[in-house]
Amino acid sequence: MTQGTFQHGGSGFPGRLIVVEGIDGSGKSTQIDLLQKWLQSRGYLTIFTEWNSSPIVKATTRFGKRRHLLTPLSFSLIHSADFASRVHAQVLPALQAGAIVLADRYVYTAFARDAARGVSRPWLRRLYSFAVDPTLAFYFDVPLEEAIQRIVQSRAAIKYYEAGMDMNLHEDPFESFRIFQGQILNEYEHLVEEFSLIRIDATEPLVDQQQRVRELVEPHLQGVARIPDRDMHDFLRQTGLQGRYLREAQPSP
Amino acid sequence: MTRLAFYGDPPPNIEGTELPGRLIVLEGTDGVGRSTHIALLKEWLEAHGHAVIDTGLRRSDLAGRGIERAKRGNTLDSLTLNLFYATDFLDRLERQIIPALRAGMVALVDRYIFSLIARAAVRGVPRDWIQDVYGFALIPDKVIYLDIDIAQLQPRVVASHGFDYWESGQDYLRSPGLFDGWVTYQTALLAEFRRLADEHGFTVINARSTLAEVFNDLQDEVRQVVDGMSRQSVLPSDPSDA
Repeated sequence: MTQGTFQHGGSGFPGRLIVVEGIDGSGKSTQIDLLQKWLQSRGYLTIFTEWNSSPIVKATTRFGKRRHLLTPLSFSLIHSADFASRVHAQVLPALQAGAIVLADRYVYTAFARDAARGVSRPWLRRLYSFAVDPTLAFYFDVPLEEAIQRIVQSRAAIKYYEAGMDMNLHEDPFESFRIFQGQILNEYEHLVEEFSLIRIDATEPLVDQQQRVRELVEPHLQGVARIPDRDMHDFLRQTGLQGRYLREAQPSP
Repeated sequence: MTRLAFYGDPPPNIEGTELPGRLIVLEGTDGVGRSTHIALLKEWLEAHGHAVIDTGLRRSDLAGRGIERAKRGNTLDSLTLNLFYATDFLDRLERQIIPALRAGMVALVDRYIFSLIARAAVRGVPRDWIQDVYGFALIPDKVIYLDIDIAQLQPRVVASHGFDYWESGQDYLRSPGLFDGWVTYQTALLAEFRRLADEHGFTVINARSTLAEVFNDLQDEVRQVVDGMSRQSVLPSDPSDA
């Protein structure tokens, strides 16, 4: 660990950190994807990181969920381990290298979900005190019923922990989901105040939401390095080459 | 009774104020003899009718295997490892230790939060932070610290499993060899343990003496904690009866 993780806020890095938050069905993932495409098209170096995706920790979380081993507190701790691993391996080095880091969910997700499960709010803030402060954090605000409709229409089933079934809120997963998401929404309302998250009305047309997000991001791009143009089509045209073996040169993922 | 008291905020959904079992923790550095003495204490307690569970690091259903896997790689940072261990510890606390105490058993724990705090602090993780993370830990009935010095530890390590990568601080030290790393790391670790022993009032047992002497001291300490559990004491006070 770089001990500095606890010391720096978010300033002082050449890069920028932009976060989207909101309950399931708020449309935040769509919006951050559109934002990334816009930034890339303008030549900015971007990396994307999402909640619960650390290659080191993810398998344990999945195992705990499948076996229903997770309690409110172990759910919280294993997600903090996942987050720490991504801060160390993805977020920090990219910010130091001058990239724009786009995070689909950040510490606020833990603050909202874990508090809804009864974990101490002050303890959660101290637990995550190693996190880098974001440059901008958007909260996609959607009414509960609208979010539920979007989720229910697009999915056959709701997962056990997603529905808060571990909380014994209701025996029906959909009802449990409704209650649990309502509690999370309530937590988010407090977080918007506490951390000055930027509220975006997620019932507006998608394109208008994206317009607003871009307007708000724009001023923060000043001074961020762009990568030199590496457009292969132009290059091939100039050199008269076909690029016949380029496919073989692509690094495998 | 084990009082249901915690260092900080208790885990959610913990009910009651007392547990009929007893929580006894053995702390000490690598190679000091903790696991040997836990095995002996367990046999001794069971021989006299006490139900015992023993548990130690990385033995949780949830995170034990995940930690082993993570430690084999080369991208694991200290903070992630600490939180992984915290998950492992909590899973054992919630699903092994507390249920056993509720059932009236003696829980013998091979390293509690103190080893984890000491290891983190030595690696530069802020002490306040790591201690605070472990605020959910139940305060044990007794924490016994097996105290030793580098000079006595050294031959034991050579004679047993040798100098291990992690026990020699190779993940964070930039020292040329295992032995030098081991001395540096264990010296720092022992200093942390002694600081924690002062802060939390551990029962300190001198682990430099013979196996029999150390075990005898341990029996005395364990007897004090366990005696009140039954209507009459079942543990003999003369070790020769054991």
